[in-house]
Amino acid sequence: MSPNTILVYSEKPALLRELLGEARRQAIAVGWKVAALVLGKNVSALADLGADVLYQIDVDDRNPELVTAALTTAIAQAQPVVLLVGATKLGMEVTPRVSERLGAGYAAWVVGFQFDPVTQSTAAQCMLYTGTGIATYGFKPGLAILTIAPGVFEAGPAADKAADIVVLEVAGTASKMTILEYKPKPASGARLEEARLVVDVGQGVKQREDLQMIQTLADMLDGQLACSRPIASDRDWFPEWLGLSGAKIKPELCLTVGVSGAIQHIVGIRDSHLIAAVNTDEGAAIFSQADYGVVADLYEFIPALMERIKARSIHPVWMA
Amino acid sequence: MRILALIKYSLDVAEIKVDPSTKELRMSGVPEKIGNIDKNVVEAAVRLKEETGASLQGLTLGPLAARESFKDVLAMGLDEVYLIDDPFTGAADARIAVRILEAAIRKLGPFDLILCGFASDDGYTYQVAPRLAERLDLPLVSYARRISLGDGGLQADRDLEDSLQTVSVSLPALVSIAEEAFPPRRTTLMDALKAKKKPVNIWQAEADLGLSLAELVKLNAFTSSAQIGMIVHRKQHMLKAGTPVEMADQLIDILLQENVVIGAA
Repeated sequence: MSPNTILVYSEKPALLRELLGEARRQAIAVGWKVAALVLGKNVSALADLGADVLYQIDVDDRNPELVTAALTTAIAQAQPVVLLVGATKLGMEVTPRVSERLGAGYAAWVVGFQFDPVTQSTAAQCMLYTGTGIATYGFKPGLAILTIAPGVFEAGPAADKAADIVVLEVAGTASKMTILEYKPKPASGARLEEARLVVDVGQGVKQREDLQMIQTLADMLDGQLACSRPIASDRDWFPEWLGLSGAKIKPELCLTVGVSGAIQHIVGIRDSHLIAAVNTDEGAAIFSQADYGVVADLYEFIPALMERIKARSIHPVWMA
Repeated sequence: MRILALIKYSLDVAEIKVDPSTKELRMSGVPEKIGNIDKNVVEAAVRLKEETGASLQGLTLGPLAARESFKDVLAMGLDEVYLIDDPFTGAADARIAVRILEAAIRKLGPFDLILCGFASDDGYTYQVAPRLAERLDLPLVSYARRISLGDGGLQADRDLEDSLQTVSVSLPALVSIAEEAFPPRRTTLMDALKAKKKPVNIWQAEADLGLSLAELVKLNAFTSSAQIGMIVHRKQHMLKAGTPVEMADQLIDILLQENVVIGAA
């Protein structure tokens, strides 16, 4: 009997590395194969990421219909028991499509999974209700499709053996949707995942100009500025946000400023060592998720805080 | 032109509490309402209705208790709402929910345009739009932020993590609305009075849609399911007295004690 296969796909190389890291750890323990799907022309750079096989399909990975077709093709070839896909907006669209086409089981926002070789079925732990809880699902035997957010699994070391590359073709690349224009958003220079101090801005900050003040505070404390989803998606002040569908941080200190504390935002900051929150509303949900809560108008408190930091020559410990 | 808005009556997840000793999720008494994402869907649909003179119906799979909550979305501009009394009381997985919605859409349709949220406020697993696109074999524009109609087709901006894609599809089509893309309008007393006269129609999955619950249950992906609440212990120490300068000094004192910063005590 040929070994079981875990198939992995993400259009984001960093996320692909994390998924391959976990796939590799689980596969080594039980003698399985790890296969990755790579779309486009340039796959050789990914050959040492820890997959045994790279399936290369030359389609446009910006089009979900084509990615769905490519995934279906790779599944037919690899016959995996588990498919791991990065939980990006693209990943979250193509996985239900594949599930629907193949009648395969699907679970979103997975944080852990196990395969039982006896029953040939998968169990997965998933974020429930935007992060309020964790659900454990037992799948029916057969393919289990799982989406995984950035920062859930750790990337593994480079493999000592390069993957075999297998070129596949999809049958038909017709698409119902035509991409007319593609505008990349400005890349965020911030490496939030590695920041030791993050100042996290919410809707209590009224105008974009006010960010200057908060940036100055962050600079005084060697911190990075980040935000909740509406600040990025609606107001467009930042290219990315913290939360279930965004980045997840684990700094020494996360100082939230005008953040109300919706659970899907908390998911992005709850691995912080310490959380301090500033909000005018004493009843704000953020205070139940914070170590220290300051009930104050941020427009009075932040200038006062900067003044006292300066007066008392306060520095983060790592800047001593 | 005919437009359909899919709207979900969602749990207010902020109100789901976790029992600190058993880690059980306390689900009883958690309020439900039309989701924020779904109100953005209604706003997008009403704007297109106003532009084109289209008819605009709403469709919900949910409990009969949802009936009362349609006042707001009818006041915003839906012509009428169809509520499918959820035979699985929210417990069915997305594949099954989509089969029920599909049956209702086939009965109510054909539509030129179907709008829904990119995700629901409570489940938040992004599944309904892509599954429905597969079932109905319709083009899907997901995560749409700007929508314009013309020449028998639709153009929209897809709002992705690192890019904006301007795309076009022909009609009929399915569009999922991006987060915070269409902030819902405020309604007037006059809107509310008009809404009272608009119908809310109730359908049963078996009697009205010809579905077999026994067959639907077979589509369930899982053989077991268990839930626990996430508990993160935080100190929850509050500073609420004093001038801003005094509170700033208190916070600095705390950060000194916590060894996050150094400086004058």
